[in-house]
Amino acid sequence: MKTHRSIFGKLLQEFRLVASDRRSWRILLFGSLNLLCTGCLLMWCSSTNSMALTAYTYLTIFDLFSLITCLISSWVTMKKPSQVYSFGFERLEVLAVFASTVLVQLGALFILKESVERFMEQPEVHTGRLLVGTFVALFFNLLTLLSVRNKPFAYVSEAASSSWLQEHVADLSRSLCGIIPGLSSVLLPRMNPFVLINMAGALSLCITYMLIEINNYNAVDTASAVAIALMTFGTMYPMSVYSGKVLLQTTPSHIIGQLDKLLREVSTLDGVLEVRNEHFWTVGFGSLAGSAHVRIRRDANEQLVLAHVTNRLLPLVSTLTVQIFKDDWTRPLLTGTLSSSSSPSAPPLGSAEGYATVSSSSLPPLLLSSGGELDPLTSTPSKPSSPPPEFSFDTPGRNVQPMVLPAPGHHTHRPYGGLGLTYGASPYTGMLNQGLARPSGGLGLGMQGLGAGKHFTLSHI
Amino acid sequence: MDEKYSSNVLSGGKLGMVEVPNSRLTRYIVLLVVSKVLKALGIFESYDILKVVHIVQFIFILKLGSAVILLFFQKPFSSGKVISKRQWIKLVKHAVFSCVISLLGFFGLTLCGPLRTLLLFEHSDVVVIALLGVLFTSSGGGPSKAAAFFIIAVICLLLFDNDDLMAKMAEHPRSLISSTPAISFLGVADHKGGVVLLVASLCLKVGFHTASRKLSVEIGGAKRLYALDNLVSAMVLLPWVIVLSATTESKVESWSSLILPFGMIIFSVMILEFYVEAICNAKMETPRCARYGTIALFLSALLLANFWTHPLTDQLRSMSKPPQQVSTEHVLSGGVLVSAIFFIMSSSILSSPSKKGQKGTLVGYSPEGTPLYNFMGDALQHTSQSLPRFIKDSLKQILEEYDSRQIFYFLCLNLAFTFVELFYGVWTNSLGLISDGFHMLFDCSALVLGLFAALMTRWKATRIFSYGYGRVEILSGFINGLFLMVIAFFVFVESVTRLLDPPNINTDMLTPVSVGGLLVNLVGICAFSHAHSHGGKSCSSHDHGHSHHGHSHSEHGHGHGGHGHGGHGHSHGSAGGGMNANMRGVFLHVLADTLGSVGVIISTILIRQFGWLIADPICSLFIATLIFLSVIPLLKDACEVLLLRTPPEHEKDLNSALEKIEKIEGVLSYRDPHFWRHSANMIAGTIHLQIMSDVVEQRIIQQVTAILKDAGVNNLSVQVEKEAYFQHMSGLSTGFHEVLAMTQQMESMKYLKDGTCIM
Repeated sequence: MKTHRSIFGKLLQEFRLVASDRRSWRILLFGSLNLLCTGCLLMWCSSTNSMALTAYTYLTIFDLFSLITCLISSWVTMKKPSQVYSFGFERLEVLAVFASTVLVQLGALFILKESVERFMEQPEVHTGRLLVGTFVALFFNLLTLLSVRNKPFAYVSEAASSSWLQEHVADLSRSLCGIIPGLSSVLLPRMNPFVLINMAGALSLCITYMLIEINNYNAVDTASAVAIALMTFGTMYPMSVYSGKVLLQTTPSHIIGQLDKLLREVSTLDGVLEVRNEHFWTVGFGSLAGSAHVRIRRDANEQLVLAHVTNRLLPLVSTLTVQIFKDDWTRPLLTGTLSSSSSPSAPPLGSAEGYATVSSSSLPPLLLSSGGELDPLTSTPSKPSSPPPEFSFDTPGRNVQPMVLPAPGHHTHRPYGGLGLTYGASPYTGMLNQGLARPSGGLGLGMQGLGAGKHFTLSHI
Repeated sequence: MDEKYSSNVLSGGKLGMVEVPNSRLTRYIVLLVVSKVLKALGIFESYDILKVVHIVQFIFILKLGSAVILLFFQKPFSSGKVISKRQWIKLVKHAVFSCVISLLGFFGLTLCGPLRTLLLFEHSDVVVIALLGVLFTSSGGGPSKAAAFFIIAVICLLLFDNDDLMAKMAEHPRSLISSTPAISFLGVADHKGGVVLLVASLCLKVGFHTASRKLSVEIGGAKRLYALDNLVSAMVLLPWVIVLSATTESKVESWSSLILPFGMIIFSVMILEFYVEAICNAKMETPRCARYGTIALFLSALLLANFWTHPLTDQLRSMSKPPQQVSTEHVLSGGVLVSAIFFIMSSSILSSPSKKGQKGTLVGYSPEGTPLYNFMGDALQHTSQSLPRFIKDSLKQILEEYDSRQIFYFLCLNLAFTFVELFYGVWTNSLGLISDGFHMLFDCSALVLGLFAALMTRWKATRIFSYGYGRVEILSGFINGLFLMVIAFFVFVESVTRLLDPPNINTDMLTPVSVGGLLVNLVGICAFSHAHSHGGKSCSSHDHGHSHHGHSHSEHGHGHGGHGHGGHGHSHGSAGGGMNANMRGVFLHVLADTLGSVGVIISTILIRQFGWLIADPICSLFIATLIFLSVIPLLKDACEVLLLRTPPEHEKDLNSALEKIEKIEGVLSYRDPHFWRHSANMIAGTIHLQIMSDVVEQRIIQQVTAILKDAGVNNLSVQVEKEAYFQHMSGLSTGFHEVLAMTQQMESMKYLKDGTCIM
């Protein structure tokens, strides 16, 4: 009992949090209106005994769901990631979209089943409230759709592939525009699927009303219920597929091309042997998360490669984890011996020296060509043989080669100094002298190599 | 495939009109039109004949007659290669199918009359394939107005065709079609049933024609196949005809007077049309041929329908008038006219060559500047493996694994029960049974979903599904949970309305059905609970949904048995961990069905014994609440997984593992630890570690991986960062703000390191 109360208390608290925002008041207002309207419609459904109106009422209920989704999305923006929900609550939005589309589809399935039963024994349909109900529902639906900005649904309806209904309406309107060209600005843009299905449902209900009034064809009601249910399916299916794919942690197919290009770039980096176990998926709508294992050569510098891989992928993948993998790393290597032999009192220097030694010893061609086009100073580990456009992204150091190139002996000892210089130099050439003139305070005692690099970098800030 | 080529390459609008001018083809077109008119005549004639001759005999005579003539013309035995035994078997199969299709077609004719039959059944294959393409491939975006016209036309025939003689049709002597009373069960009028039947058999016919293409190549030509097919069909039908003529007395007064009409029908419907179509298809493009043929056929059918029953034509007709007065039967009505116009429009649109040329991909331009298209991709990739093979493969896959096998067997059992119920309902004309059967079908959809998910789970990982398909199971469990919620909601609403106004309940048919359902579902429960004794076991109650049909005479109640079970199930539910959401969802459904059956039995007893009509809605209300409450754990678990929550059952282990990681020598700190359950047997995780500069990264990775593996994480990525990483990053990132952020991060790391250094 106590847990229940605490759950309600929590809910109330979260609700207050959401309600503190002025914008959500409007959503709440519309939600209560919607509830009222739905209740009315449900009563009319049972009084008219019309299946089609019931199917149409489910669209109103769907609007209620979408309003709830809207509330959830405004709640999500206020919540920070917690310890158990480490990715934050953005996915709740996706889940809400998925659940509401699936629920309305299940409702449509129910309508289909009931309609099959009705086909066998068609009851009388009273048309008294049919048209009134239709227009009330249409009015409220359109009002809700057009006056509440529903971020998640707007996103999904744009991102998902266009529905069956949209395709056909687009086709029809295209041929209509062939006859009346003036309509092209109205008809040709992609229609909002929700508006479309509301209009189509209202239309079929009107036809039903007419036919029942004129010819007393009660079966039309069932047929139009089936039609509305099928249209609901058609409209909601692409959206639930889209959000379901997000929930299934799949790579969004429209990003694959871009990702492939980046991964190709990564695999051409110097030292990288292969990229494997790459998983990229969307956390919420839009933000990409991912992880990849990068296998590198035994003598390559892990941190350098890691930095480059991360640097390339980070613009696209905001939550990124790259695991660097080395075969056979237990066998002693030059780096290992060097870094362990260097004094423990000054570990950064040791490692920096180690890096420098490695790069000078194991990558002689790179270093030797440093005076040329390739720039080990910028620490871009590019393979000499690989084609330039793949990885010659805007490395600023390239532009200022001759000016900042320090003496070879100098840079083997202080690679980061060179690094800082080359990078900083291009945008802040003017400030470079200033920075050199008044170096900021030392950063660490045992960090000469790094400290130099750092303060060059910092001096431009 | 050849229509595709012709429609795109030869007559595609973009490629310039390559169509042969009409003048050269005039005689073929005239021939086609004449043959179509004759065919319409033949169909009208055969409608009259079918009133006196049994349909099987009629088809037998047709097939035999055309076989004799075709044998004479084609000489299939003396010419061409020898037919092997396997081909004979295929031929027999082919013939059986063609018999079935002709039976359906002519049966539709007896139901709908000749005009409607012609309108519905005599569409050419090209048109139907194009129509299906438009309807079912949304990507094509083909001429959807044609599809709309077609559907409107069918609906016109179904609804607005004021065939005022339905009542008369009902009295129509049934002996003609007594052997196949399949249509009447639907409760719809014969005429409407005929429309539905004809549409279905049209699709069947097209499919059959497409499938028989391969055989015709094998046999050696479509004409030879046609001749042999007629012969074999006649032989297939022979035993049936003998039995029929032995058991029923014929209504035909004199067969001799029927010889001429039969001859005419055989000539016009079976032979002339076939040959003319073959010739025209060879000389013209198929779509064009279809266009002219259809228009000619429909127009002549309309004309004939107008004049057929006219007294003038009666005098002209060679055949003596049938005994009964049929002049008002299947008359022309406004609905038919409208639908005929729509049919003509839609078929002319559908058979016109597609203007977009969308099936080919532009590969470049020829030296003359005309675009070149490549038709390889679409045309060739879609020749998928054959259907039987596909079914066989997926069956094998289903039977491989325990879960899917359980679901599959139970689904089969359930479907069998459903069909028995439906069949029995049709037999006894009990609406309650039929609607209960549909309920079962509705419930089976959950099982199908579960089965599909269980099958999908084992698919190999792809580029898009990089972790594999294991998560589908959880999503399917979630959907099943939503399904149960929806059912609970409907039961709730229905029982509230019942509570206000308890209807009378007829309990006659309920007991045997619900006992049967109970037995079936008990089997399911045994199977699934056994399957679940090792995994997370969770149950709930959910009623079968019997209480929400609108038929007052087929009321199903829910008894207290449901309650008992529900409580029991619920206690399990909270205990179960929930290993496999999919199986959990399926199990919930099965249990719910069982409870529904139990509830029906008990409430039947209550109502019979005590007459407590109010007991039924109250129980439903109660059960709906129970379902709702018991689905919540399933939904909650599935939601947590879908929201990437840290798995609660591993939370403690993970926390201690993180503590351990912090204590590893050389590790300064960690950030962004993400752990989540991806699927039933995969927990994925990512973590970033900051380590001291003098530590070997790979060793740390190894240690961390081992620690986290002990905590249950089996798909891990560790990013190990040293200070050098931030240096590199700050160098690499060119933006001012990024540099600032990076330096701050580095700064904070330095403090951390200082702290550890001091310690």
